[in-house]
Amino acid sequence: MSARGKTVAAGAALVAGVMMLCGGEREARAEYGDVVMNNYSDAAGMRPAVFPHWFHRVRFRCKVCHSDLGIKFKAGGNEINMLKIIDGQFCGACHNGSVAWSVENCDLCHSAKPGTPTQVHDSTINLLGGAGTAPTGASAPAGKK
Amino acid sequence: MTLLRFAGGSLLAALVAAPAPAQELPNAKAVYDANCAACHATGIGGAPRTGDARAWSAPIGTGINALYANAIKGKGAMPPKGGNASLTDAQVMAAVNHIVGLTAAPARRTGAKPVDTSKGKLVYQVVCAACHTSGLAGAPKLGDAAAWASRLSAGPGSMYANAIKGKGAMPPKGGNASLPDADVRAAVDFMLTQMRGGTALPPAGAAAPNPAAPAAPAVSVPGAVVLAPAVYESADPNAFNRLMVAPGRRNPPPAEDGIHDPESPGTALLQAPLLSFQSLPRANLGNYVNWVTALGKKQIQPRWDTRDPKAEPAVMDLNIVREVKGSMPDVVFPHKQHTEWLDCSNCHPAIFTPEKGANQISMAAIMLGQKCGVCHGKVAFPISECRLCHARQKSAGARTVEGPSAGGGRQ
Repeated sequence: MSARGKTVAAGAALVAGVMMLCGGEREARAEYGDVVMNNYSDAAGMRPAVFPHWFHRVRFRCKVCHSDLGIKFKAGGNEINMLKIIDGQFCGACHNGSVAWSVENCDLCHSAKPGTPTQVHDSTINLLGGAGTAPTGASAPAGKK
Repeated sequence: MTLLRFAGGSLLAALVAAPAPAQELPNAKAVYDANCAACHATGIGGAPRTGDARAWSAPIGTGINALYANAIKGKGAMPPKGGNASLTDAQVMAAVNHIVGLTAAPARRTGAKPVDTSKGKLVYQVVCAACHTSGLAGAPKLGDAAAWASRLSAGPGSMYANAIKGKGAMPPKGGNASLPDADVRAAVDFMLTQMRGGTALPPAGAAAPNPAAPAAPAVSVPGAVVLAPAVYESADPNAFNRLMVAPGRRNPPPAEDGIHDPESPGTALLQAPLLSFQSLPRANLGNYVNWVTALGKKQIQPRWDTRDPKAEPAVMDLNIVREVKGSMPDVVFPHKQHTEWLDCSNCHPAIFTPEKGANQISMAAIMLGQKCGVCHGKVAFPISECRLCHARQKSAGARTVEGPSAGGGRQ
């Protein structure tokens, strides 16, 4: 790419970024705390998975997943994959057809728009980093682990 | 297509025309004038006034046969046959047709939209959108004129009945049995307006706005969910504020929330948050639900164990007061509200060293998702709720550690 081409591309990226920050209302209005997980989904041709915190906290206290099941407080930081789920880890502790519906209902979790980055939707970090588009999994330091 | 648009636009007219094929008898007007007009021309005793499309939309929505039955047997303040027992049933029915004809006529002439769709829109979003946005299970998609036209040909009356009683794959009232019939009809009305191309367009056949059209009333739904007026998009002076979500646009259903893919078959099956939140105490931010109060009042009963519904947390009632720099009130950390949700090991020792003075906490760290920010600003109430933590005035003589108390930590 020529120097001129690079300048144009950089300018376009800058304009896009400014528009993203200053533009009208945020386009995504999903629930506070909805976690999008896209560690492997896009690459595997699946829609990214959405974890609705609100739905689960109506049914279980935080402790059940974050202590008993050992799920870390970090979006995308648990390296969850379908094999582990089928083996009863993470989501699979309940989503096994016994406590909750089981894994053949792929589309109920894998329901995000393709390309949605890993994030906690509406989180402080997302708001600071550009209106709900920053991949918090990559940029967010999340406490000592 | 013109015919189609007309049918959607003058809903009430179509509604009346379809289920009431009966000819108007020559003496219908005489029967009306002699027996019905006393109340229905004036509105005495709560009688819906003849020609008032708004007042009649609900009764007419119950179907013409219900109107006949009410007129013949009486209803509420209305005596059987309007108080004239010598009338034949046929005469009463003729009078009903006469009233309905007079009432529907203005709507037919002006094409005025007889119903306010803002309530219907809310009901649609909460209940109907799951299937009717994506066309799940053969449901006609919102705005798909062709799909709706074939259903509309049977008359809106039958559409109301199908929506309320269910049909084919559609459960009664879209699966929400607690919904009042009127709300279901409002949702149907809303979907029909969308078939026409949205409320932004003028009603088909309307030469001019109807100045007599009643103003849209404030809409409230059981559970105190308040919807912004439908004019929000254009008229809200706060529309520039990209961070503030207007009340009517909070908690959208999954298909409209910007994260879920409306094309995914799973999206349509997910519960709409408002369905869950309706009965819960409201808050200003986050999910707009006060989760701690909801738990305290047992409005939600989340399990403490995956399988044992009777397991209970070991709640520790100990407030920690942290004196902070500057003018901000000191922070009161209530163990009680936290131990109702969390285990000690969730926070100690990885995030907070369980020792007085051992934890350096700053708002900068919290905003970056550390310390309190591991949860607050992600799923627990957001950090813009300053005073929920900064709850103790400095003049109150704070101690570093104090015993059980109800102070601070209101949420």
